[in-house]
Amino acid sequence: MTTQTLSESGRSTPQLSLRTVLHNAGIGLALLALIVFFSVFTEHFLTPNNITNILTQITINLVLAVGMTFVILVGGIDLSVGSVMAFAAVVAGKAITLPGFGPAEAIALAVVAATMTGVLCGVFNGVISAYWALPSFIITLGMLNIARGAALQVSDAQTIYSFPLAFEEFGSAMIYGVPVVFLVALLLVFVAWFILNFTVFGRILYGIGNNEEAVRLAGHSVFRYKVAAFTICGFTAGIAAIVYMARLNISSPIAGIGFELNAIAAVIIGGTSLSGGRGSVIGTLLGAVIIGVLANGLILIGLSDFMRQMITGVVIVFAVILDHYRAKYAAK
Amino acid sequence: MAAAAPGAAPLPTHGSAFLSVDGLKKYFGGVKALDGVSFSLEQGEVHALVGENGAGKSTLIKILSGAFPYDSGDILLDGSVYNPASPHEAKQHGVQVVHQEFNLLDHLSIAENISIEKLPRTRLGLLDRKELNRRAVKALKAIGLDDIDVRAPISSLGIAHKQLVEIARALQSKSRILILDEPTATLTKRETERLFEIVEAIKADGVTVVFVSHHLDEVFRICDRVTVFRNGKTIATDLIAQTSPEGVVQRMVGRRLEAEIKEEHQDVHQQDVALRLDDLRTAANPKDRGVTFDLHYGEIVGIAGLVGAGRTEILRGIFGMDPVQSGRIFRDGQEIRFSGPRDAIASSLGFVTEDRKGEGLVLDMPIAANTSMANMDAVSKLGLLQFPAENRQAREAGARLKLKYGKTSDPVSSLSGGNQQKVVLAKWLVRNPRVLLLDEPTRGVDVGAKAEIYAILKGLAREGVALLVVSSEMPELMTLSDRILVLADHEIQGELKRPDFSEENILNLAYGRANAAGGQAQ
Repeated sequence: MTTQTLSESGRSTPQLSLRTVLHNAGIGLALLALIVFFSVFTEHFLTPNNITNILTQITINLVLAVGMTFVILVGGIDLSVGSVMAFAAVVAGKAITLPGFGPAEAIALAVVAATMTGVLCGVFNGVISAYWALPSFIITLGMLNIARGAALQVSDAQTIYSFPLAFEEFGSAMIYGVPVVFLVALLLVFVAWFILNFTVFGRILYGIGNNEEAVRLAGHSVFRYKVAAFTICGFTAGIAAIVYMARLNISSPIAGIGFELNAIAAVIIGGTSLSGGRGSVIGTLLGAVIIGVLANGLILIGLSDFMRQMITGVVIVFAVILDHYRAKYAAK
Repeated sequence: MAAAAPGAAPLPTHGSAFLSVDGLKKYFGGVKALDGVSFSLEQGEVHALVGENGAGKSTLIKILSGAFPYDSGDILLDGSVYNPASPHEAKQHGVQVVHQEFNLLDHLSIAENISIEKLPRTRLGLLDRKELNRRAVKALKAIGLDDIDVRAPISSLGIAHKQLVEIARALQSKSRILILDEPTATLTKRETERLFEIVEAIKADGVTVVFVSHHLDEVFRICDRVTVFRNGKTIATDLIAQTSPEGVVQRMVGRRLEAEIKEEHQDVHQQDVALRLDDLRTAANPKDRGVTFDLHYGEIVGIAGLVGAGRTEILRGIFGMDPVQSGRIFRDGQEIRFSGPRDAIASSLGFVTEDRKGEGLVLDMPIAANTSMANMDAVSKLGLLQFPAENRQAREAGARLKLKYGKTSDPVSSLSGGNQQKVVLAKWLVRNPRVLLLDEPTRGVDVGAKAEIYAILKGLAREGVALLVVSSEMPELMTLSDRILVLADHEIQGELKRPDFSEENILNLAYGRANAAGGQAQ
């Protein structure tokens, strides 16, 4: 009994996260190999400027991918995040350029407008797909079109610009060469990691992804948790809209086309299972970085953008095959 | 009656066998599915295969139809070895199966379904619809169906007609053996009559029909011979004319185990009613009558019956998993209606489900997480998990149930079947339920763990918990229960008290032969 107590004095997560760490280590090693490769074969890869560049480039994808992780963990998918981001950006752009507000109030208003827009779209996705048990693939494909149309309608297909100066400064601010917007994304990763590992909510999300029926039989409302996952995904699309606006100083209704695919790729490369229940947001962070490093490094090495796209595609396919074998071993 | 002496070598026949099976064995890993099966088929007979669930009937059918190979023994068809590598090869030998679950394509037409294995083509290689429909009409006519539009989609047919389409499809290519697996399970009386007429006609054409059924009255109605399975072995083949339903039941049961059950049983004085069902009818129940019974605190009530008798459905209905059609549920005398498992749990119910991988456990998650799955409030504060509390809970439950495990953080999938089942129990026991529903509580559990689980359940009853146990294993029910309700066709056929416990009495009730159970019925 004593030995048992000793060996179990810690939390019950270490084992879980040890496994996660182990397979994240695989992703980490792949990332390390990429970094070494590009450092050796290109001159400019490992320079402070370029690193700042990469971090800036991956920020939006990382923000979207954090929300996407929640949805994929419960066995869903959200194809609408790119469009929802554009819609949220347009609504926030309208809000921030309303006359009669000081810069601080205008920015606050924009943040609320963007996140609320995202949340509402997420609630829609979640409620419709969970209540009628419809494939989220189709429902969010519908939302992809709804949100894109709404963005074009609300903006009258015009790009919105001339935001407050402070907003612009936030978008380009650095701390020791690290973009502030990237730190915002990292904060999101941390919060998501905490929620998924240390709250009842996170536990149930993993449970649903693994075995929905068992969770329902244990007396939990699977519907509410699924809606919550989609809502979180919509919320991060709203945050991504703010980051996008601050970075580029515009709100374009045609922003974010295809962003959903990059976000899904980051989650999958990060080792989260497409069938749900297995994975981590730390993996998602590494997945997003890998995509960013690949994009940046392959261009530095002199490959065309087309080649870069092909290679990223190969990596995604490879990641899914890897996941297949991981699932097989987990089943044993 | 029970004609042939046990182990009688020459099987009773009334013609010459063209298919003979001898000493057939089949293993799945270490599990014996068939452990010496011998029987024969004759031209133009209707041959019944009967036996309890898991006795080996389905495995034999799958081997005959080429779904999987056998490990040892012989099958001779027309004197040469028969070992089909695939269902396709079996069909070429004229062996056709109509499965319990149909293999029909819902959105295609009846005609397309009938010819799906070999669709007719025109000279240009296009689908020859005329020929397609002609063949379908012919195939349906052969079994006496001429009032159906073969161009209609399968989904427009009722279940009985779907089955007839399956039979028509099986018969259109030259069939020698037609295997019907539980063909009447979903049919009404009239539809069953129709099916029997068709079977008679097929038989008259010289086709051999293998008839698998749980209904002995049907077996005695249309079959010529009956082969009884028990524990993967064939016990005997009898001519129907020379045996009786009682004789068949005796063969199915054997003379085993009856002694060891009537052990210690102290008469517990009746406690309060924990749960009362009044004419409860679930959505799955096609009858217009429901079930009525009381479950008292401190007692274990068993529910026996064959697969499809509606046992699990009662538990699911009580627990709010399936909608309740009509009838009432009383909990501690108060009428209640659970709109979902959540309500049932709040009312101190627990449900150990049959399928622990599908419904009971989250396999990839740690033992501790599974143990707390229905008891999150006890291991969290303000939504934050309290890992020490959760581990303590899992360790205490583990000690109580003699769970063999490494660490509480190990995934449940690392445990043996018996220990996984204990984790399912632990999940509910940590809530201290007052009423515990159990569906096949020891399925796939080894003998040692079984005994431990029995001890745990009996202990719970002594502590005053009311237990309702559904099981297909009769020795299990007889060991655990204070009384057994026997279900057939969604109706309680009778209640057996402990002194009347015997497999024979249970089976007689389960096969709807209430009067044969010696007056204990109702």
